[in-house]
Amino acid sequence: MPTVVVMDVSLSMTRPVSVEGSEEYQRKHLAVHGLTMLFEHMATNYKLEFTALVVFSSLWELMVPFTRDYNTLQVVLVTDGCLGIGRGSLRHSLATCNQRNESSRFPLPFPFPSKLYIMCMANLDELQSSDSLDCLERLVDLNNGEGQIFTIDGPLCLKNVQSMFGKLIDLAYTPFHAVLKCGHLTSDVQVFPRPEPFIIDEEIDPIPKAINTDLEIVGFIDIADISSPPVLSRHLVLPIALNKEGDEVGPGITDDTEDENSANQIAGKIPNFCVLLHGSLKVEGMVAIVQLGPEWHGMLYSQADSKKKSNLMMSLFEPGPEPLPWLGKMAQLGPISDAKENPYGEDDNKSPFPLQPKNKRSYAQNVTVWIKPSGLQTDVQKILRNARKLPEKTQTFYKELNRLRKAALAFGFLDLLKGVADMLERECTLLPDTAHPDAAFQLTHAAQQLKAASNGTSEYAAYDHNITPLQTDFSSSSTERI
Amino acid sequence: MKIFSESHKTVFVVDHCPYMAESCRQHVEFDMLVKNRTQGIIPLAPISKSLWTCSVESSMEYCRIMYDIFPFKKLVNFIVSDSGAHILNSWSQEDQNLQELMAALAAVGPPNPRADPECCSILHGLVAAVETLCKITEYQHEARTILMENAEHVGNRGRIICITNAKSDSHVRMLEDCVQETIHEHNKLAANSDHLMQIQKCELVLIHTYPVGEDSLVSDRLKKELSPVLTSEVHSVRAGRHLATKLNVLVQQHFDLASTTITNIPMKEEQHANTSANYDVELLHHKDAHVDFLKSGDNHIGGNSREGTFKETVTLKWCTPRTNSVELHYCTGAYRISPVDVNSRPSSCLTNFLLNGRSVLLEQPRKSGSKVISHMLSSHGGEIFLHVLSSSRSILEDPPSISEGCGGRVTDYRITDFGEFMRENRLTPFLDPRYKIDGSLEIPLERAKDQLEKHTRYWPMIISQTTIFNMQAVVPLASVIVKEALTDEDVLNCQKTIYNLVDMERKNDPLPISTVGTRGKGPKRDEQYRIMWNELETLVRAHISNSDKHQRVLECLLACRSKPPEEEERKKRGRKREEKEDKSEKSGKDYELEKPWQESERLKGVLDREKEELAEAEVIKDSPDSPEPLNKKPLITIDEIPPVEKTKGPMSLLSLWSNRINTANSRKHQEFIGRLNSVNNKAELYQHLKEENGMETTENGKASRQ
Repeated sequence: MPTVVVMDVSLSMTRPVSVEGSEEYQRKHLAVHGLTMLFEHMATNYKLEFTALVVFSSLWELMVPFTRDYNTLQVVLVTDGCLGIGRGSLRHSLATCNQRNESSRFPLPFPFPSKLYIMCMANLDELQSSDSLDCLERLVDLNNGEGQIFTIDGPLCLKNVQSMFGKLIDLAYTPFHAVLKCGHLTSDVQVFPRPEPFIIDEEIDPIPKAINTDLEIVGFIDIADISSPPVLSRHLVLPIALNKEGDEVGPGITDDTEDENSANQIAGKIPNFCVLLHGSLKVEGMVAIVQLGPEWHGMLYSQADSKKKSNLMMSLFEPGPEPLPWLGKMAQLGPISDAKENPYGEDDNKSPFPLQPKNKRSYAQNVTVWIKPSGLQTDVQKILRNARKLPEKTQTFYKELNRLRKAALAFGFLDLLKGVADMLERECTLLPDTAHPDAAFQLTHAAQQLKAASNGTSEYAAYDHNITPLQTDFSSSSTERI
Repeated sequence: MKIFSESHKTVFVVDHCPYMAESCRQHVEFDMLVKNRTQGIIPLAPISKSLWTCSVESSMEYCRIMYDIFPFKKLVNFIVSDSGAHILNSWSQEDQNLQELMAALAAVGPPNPRADPECCSILHGLVAAVETLCKITEYQHEARTILMENAEHVGNRGRIICITNAKSDSHVRMLEDCVQETIHEHNKLAANSDHLMQIQKCELVLIHTYPVGEDSLVSDRLKKELSPVLTSEVHSVRAGRHLATKLNVLVQQHFDLASTTITNIPMKEEQHANTSANYDVELLHHKDAHVDFLKSGDNHIGGNSREGTFKETVTLKWCTPRTNSVELHYCTGAYRISPVDVNSRPSSCLTNFLLNGRSVLLEQPRKSGSKVISHMLSSHGGEIFLHVLSSSRSILEDPPSISEGCGGRVTDYRITDFGEFMRENRLTPFLDPRYKIDGSLEIPLERAKDQLEKHTRYWPMIISQTTIFNMQAVVPLASVIVKEALTDEDVLNCQKTIYNLVDMERKNDPLPISTVGTRGKGPKRDEQYRIMWNELETLVRAHISNSDKHQRVLECLLACRSKPPEEEERKKRGRKREEKEDKSEKSGKDYELEKPWQESERLKGVLDREKEELAEAEVIKDSPDSPEPLNKKPLITIDEIPPVEKTKGPMSLLSLWSNRINTANSRKHQEFIGRLNSVNNKAELYQHLKEENGMETTENGKASRQ
């Protein structure tokens, strides 16, 4: 996640630090030294990190801007822990932070998830002698406890500043190295930004889960089938060359020494599985499903920049046995060769996805809702419209009639059944002379059946009973019926 | 939302006593006469719903929305109370759908107004509700089974929604006391039972409903804690649509829902098909779909919804989809939706459009500035989801292109072949459990991994690294040899392929040997065939452990391939290979280990470039002077080891030099068979005896059939 470095440049930062037998340092110099170390680390091992620099004393100034992404952020605050006095000091602000109104809200917690790291150019004793440490701890607490305070161990000197920043780097800026595998095809990769541990369900299993350093491809799926799935985060997967010490060499670093450059060039010429995979995913319009841990999966795909650049990207699904309902349980996905016939069809013209759920949702199953009068009126009108087109519309007429009947029985709305029965009888009397004789028979039959159901006791009121069309036969002789 | 929050279990208790048969006194006109037919006909009198009907249809609407948005893990138990409690369904997922509930309600029917009111009471239902909350759901059971000794971490909370007609505030208090006491009693029972769970938290929502126009005898009360286990709230609501509105508000509160109104949906007019008007449709979904608005404080919440009820909705604009192209959007969440007004024409037009497979992008209405697409509506398998698209600037902006990184300069990757490989290794769901021969459950995903392992045992990544995969003639063999088991027909096809290659060799057909990076004309024809046969053998050998039939293919290959002296050599090597394979079965390290040699040798320019690399590596490996550091090397993928590093490795200048001399010499004369086949300069004597015995005995003692 992007980093904002917030550097204290108030007067107290110019306080000298006594270092034996050398030139005089100010706390500011120590801070600069530490930050240089952090920036150098980022430039070599974490070079895609966006970073901005803000300096402050009683006012503040943005020295280096970077981003307007507020999704997540890390804030590194560098200060000596001299919090000032009077109005506007941290002590005063904290004391009054409950009295603020909405428009001048206390800046913490930030309105986005964030981590606040406070680097103190002072040692613990110094901070504890005043209430500075308490105030700084309040800041981290206000940020929902997300963050940490670092202090210098021992006397203030370059070495101890280095070790303090070293701790920050270990905590927040260690690159994530992994091995991408597809059977025997493998590649060492850096995953950037590094995936953060995830807590699945706070209640049942609150231990944060981290992803494996072995990223194992389990199979492939078409982009149309995976269908823009929701993901927790996405990461670049950068192939890297590792030397024996596990340090990165080759691309992933920009360093203009000649050695490095030639190493880069050589690494560029050695075939790498990531490049092959990326190329084929892009051409075929597919994603690779990758296992990140027990019951945790993600996908690899080609992500094109707006320009000609494109890259191998990995997105993490939510951990669990079934992250995407339309794929079903991940463990139940198997190779197509195990299926009796190819589920994608011989001409690649069909797909086993998406999976259909057992029960349809309300909008896909024509449910009956009569909460608004218009809902009821529409349903009654449908019956009437079909009634006037009998016998052609016999099937739809009975279908609509039965739908209304079922709903009325479930809602205990028997008056409606009586009402509709009356209406059908009236329709019968209004039939024009030209009407087919069957129309009158069907209307009378339907009305009788509804009336029977509205009494609520007879077998006609059974929910599963369907009113079926009256069997009439006008083709031979209509008198036979009487 | 935690999985076992109060929303995991909802019990509806609906009053079925005689007074619920009373009319809600809100009329519904159902006989809407069409204009030109109305002369002389008096429309039928309007009818009105009973309190019971209003209660049931409102609670069904609550369930409809809940099931649409949470089809799993949010469960409803429906209880009807009169002279006793009638429990209409169970916590089982099978029972969780509207059809089941509707059928059960129809069986109960409307309340009987002539029943004796003295023996009817809502209390029966409330007691049954507490009882049912103690019953374990399948999800709770599953979670407890997984956690074993930590089973107590699984929560048991629930909510009782009781719709009744109370007589007074003190009547309401009596109901609350009853629930309180019942919980106390049943928790005692549950403490001593394996099948029941104690109720940790229960939310009682009492809804007093009464006919429109009457005065309420019960006053509203906000949520109040009656005990650490029980909270209670009272809503006094007129029947009819007021009750429905109340339950709609409640379902949103209980399940953390929010509302989005899709605006500007173009729709053909029902009457005038050639005109179209714009419609709005309101959808409900989990409120996390709005998390970006809340986070950025950028609320352009468009006031109240059309109902005029006090409810916020976010308005998003429909963007007519132009193409049907499939794109992978960066989506941070997908939430099931439910239309507020499911049967209205605009709603069903929208849902049908989506169910037919189209996706719709949704835009934030902005007064000025650029267009921001923040959401997408899309259906998957008959379920509609609201996808949240990331509209903030990406932290991955302007990354280096893959062509700038490792392997980025290589231009002859087998992209098309790997595409074919990916299609063969696509996944498909296997819903019915399958069993292995030993009776244990077979996990399809493990089968998929297994297949990938088989298919990649020998898979050169670039065109210039392979001969056989550039030959159409090899395809019939290469496509089946990776299979777990071969049919007799497969074996026959493989044999045919081999005979065909022999034929090609006899006719001296040219082979697609790569000449990349070579000087001169490239290898001679017979050398080309040697390279090809070596590679083919490598491929087949990688699979001989699969089955006897694979072994038969190898035998055929060994019998047919060219030149006796080399055949001897191969056989010998084959045995070594097999031995090695047994040691590191399926690890595939054999193939990886061979690569550093091929790379470093190439760099040093010791060997002829044109030689097929794998074969080359083997020659070097088996040559007397080559040291043995291979297996001592750290098992990292070799591709990434920069060759410059390797010169610092265990290879001395002397060995480099002698390698060079040896290879140069070896080209001038035919190598002694014994030396070629030697291991650490020791050659096995009288090998032919074994073969003459008609048995090809492998060194690990396995005999293969002939």
